[in-house]
Amino acid sequence: MNDVVESQESTRRWAVILSAISGLSVLATFWLIFFYVPTEREMGIVQRIYYVHVPSAWVAFLAFGIVALCSLVYLWIRDDRLDAIALSSAELGLVFTTIVLITGPLWGKIAWGVWWVWDARLSLTLLLWFIYVGYFMLRGATENPERGKRFAAILGIVGAVDIPLIHVSVLWFRSQHPQPVVLRAEGPTADPEIVKTLLFSFLTFTIVFFALLLLRYGLERLQRRVDAATFRAATRSSSINSQGAVR
Amino acid sequence: MREEARLSPPGVIQPTAAVAAVGVEKWYGVYPALRGVDFEISSGDFVTIFGPNGAGKTTLLRLLAGALRPTRGEIRLGGAPLDYDEPAWRARIGVLSHQTFLYGQLTAAENLRFYGRLYGLAKLDGLIERRLAEVGLWDRRDDRARGFSRGMQQRLALARTLLHDPELVLLDEPYTGLDAHAARMLRRVLEQLKDGNRTVVLVTHNLAEGLELADRVVVQVAGRWVSDEPRSAIDAVEFEQLYTARVGGAE
Amino acid sequence: MRGFVRQLLTIAGKDLRLELRSRERLVSMMTFAVLVAVVFSFSLDPGVEARTVAGAMLWVTILFAGMLGLGRSFALEREQDAMMGILLAPLDRGALFLGKLIANLALLLATEVAVFVVFALFFQLSYWKTLGSVILVVVLASVGFMILGTLFSAMAAGTRLGETLLPVLILPLLMPVVIYAASSTQRLIVGRPFAEVAGSVRVLVVFDLIFLIVSILLFGAVVEE
Repeated sequence: MNDVVESQESTRRWAVILSAISGLSVLATFWLIFFYVPTEREMGIVQRIYYVHVPSAWVAFLAFGIVALCSLVYLWIRDDRLDAIALSSAELGLVFTTIVLITGPLWGKIAWGVWWVWDARLSLTLLLWFIYVGYFMLRGATENPERGKRFAAILGIVGAVDIPLIHVSVLWFRSQHPQPVVLRAEGPTADPEIVKTLLFSFLTFTIVFFALLLLRYGLERLQRRVDAATFRAATRSSSINSQGAVR
Repeated sequence: MREEARLSPPGVIQPTAAVAAVGVEKWYGVYPALRGVDFEISSGDFVTIFGPNGAGKTTLLRLLAGALRPTRGEIRLGGAPLDYDEPAWRARIGVLSHQTFLYGQLTAAENLRFYGRLYGLAKLDGLIERRLAEVGLWDRRDDRARGFSRGMQQRLALARTLLHDPELVLLDEPYTGLDAHAARMLRRVLEQLKDGNRTVVLVTHNLAEGLELADRVVVQVAGRWVSDEPRSAIDAVEFEQLYTARVGGAE
Repeated sequence: MRGFVRQLLTIAGKDLRLELRSRERLVSMMTFAVLVAVVFSFSLDPGVEARTVAGAMLWVTILFAGMLGLGRSFALEREQDAMMGILLAPLDRGALFLGKLIANLALLLATEVAVFVVFALFFQLSYWKTLGSVILVVVLASVGFMILGTLFSAMAAGTRLGETLLPVLILPLLMPVVIYAASSTQRLIVGRPFAEVAGSVRVLVVFDLIFLIVSILLFGAVVEE
């Protein structure tokens, strides 16, 4: 029991440290995005959303990678902590995928002239978002929590194996059906300031992600301990013959 | 409660028990269905486990059958821990539950043939004939199980349980929903199981049925064994009073 | 190995025998598919040439008819908890998965025959010139569909939502199958040569192989308790 408390203490400590770093980093990124980096010539001011959009996409896929990895090892050694990490990571993945899906069309409206195009990366992100949604629906619909963890882990693994195949297929689909693209995102002449801001933004989002992951993970662990303690207290106070509810 | 269990040690402990549990716990999330059970059952014994609803009896039986994996601890069959990735040992266990595991749209013989093939049994036709005759269903072999009465279904399920001649037979409330005649029939077949080679574990909350054939009597409450005595040390009337007092008349 | 094959054939044979007796799934899948064809013919603008969108119509129909069948895939096992009986047998979980897969696939292929015939009648389609290629594409895509379908219908059956959860879980995962199957079918129907869809066929084969292995490995974790 002391081990548990101690490991939770260290989780919390690291979460606080990372949160502080990510706070500073976010401030620096804002400064870079709004004051440092020059406005992109062709797309104008809207291009600045790029510094949120692209790093969010990176983090969303990173999150899914973590879900898959933890799921795989969870099915192997059945350590509850791995499931807690996978769950926390999937939640953040859903948040960041949603950010990508909101910022993408905002930018696309200006860049492409339409809210939505079946651009390969946008399609892939949309499907990823659906897989994340399925992940939570599956967990939520399973009454036996152990079974829910197992099922979610299986979806996490199958999803991760499928993502490259989905990527290949949507790329291929795009190449077969050219879209009315007004402008291409990656211009050959990216200013060094743009590159620097983007790289720093990547770093910031990664730190923010891990800070949130630790916070969420600590919360999840705490929640599970509280559930267990609540149950123990409830059964202790009731007499033996009311234990019919145990199963 | 642990101390109480020690007051009445199980019979002679053999070097390799037919089936044993070592520190077995089963949790469903935060709910403990079994909170630490240790025992050995000697080969040839007929053990009855009593307990109120929710005592974790079915969970224990399913753990012994290998249908569930323990959260902690291990189940040993003939001294060897169950290896859940290696299916061979499953052929040594037979399970009869209040659910029949049968397909209503298949005939009696087809149901047994299906399970016989899964178990990879040789000379299946003769075996099916023998088992159906034993439970008095040979004449109904080509009728679909759906049309059977509850008692006949349970007899067919019994034939399915014994089809592959298991050394460990696990019975989960087998009398549930049976009329007097069907229950008598079932009792007669179960009696034949006590041939000294077969180990039987019966789980029930019905005292009369449970005491009848038992060599050893266990009471399980809230996921723990609270008493474990040889049948010979038990007076049925006294036991009933004690049991009713202990489980608080939960039935 | 022989035991493995015997077990998977036992499972598949039992499922198909039960289906032949009740015909529940096959009848509902086929009726549904024909109704979708009717709906399509009334919802398509008469100015649209059906031949040019046939690939999409066919695969939308097949996907939803297939999902309808998958929803009942584990229903018979639930009735008297026969799944428990199967799991207690010395049966390799991979054999159980493959047996279920074969039975599901057989039902889907039978439905697809009906779907293609009905669409040919309703929309004046002809597959004769490229029949071999069409069959190859349809079989490969159906195998992929049913691999994920069997895996996820076993999981959906173990949840509170049951079969309603199935489409939400597998449609995003099936997108590669949909993309390659629909486009290849479309091309073959309008008479393009097989060489044009060879690349798609290769990806479908890769998809099938990858998920066959992954599903066999993971199926044990689906059915265990």
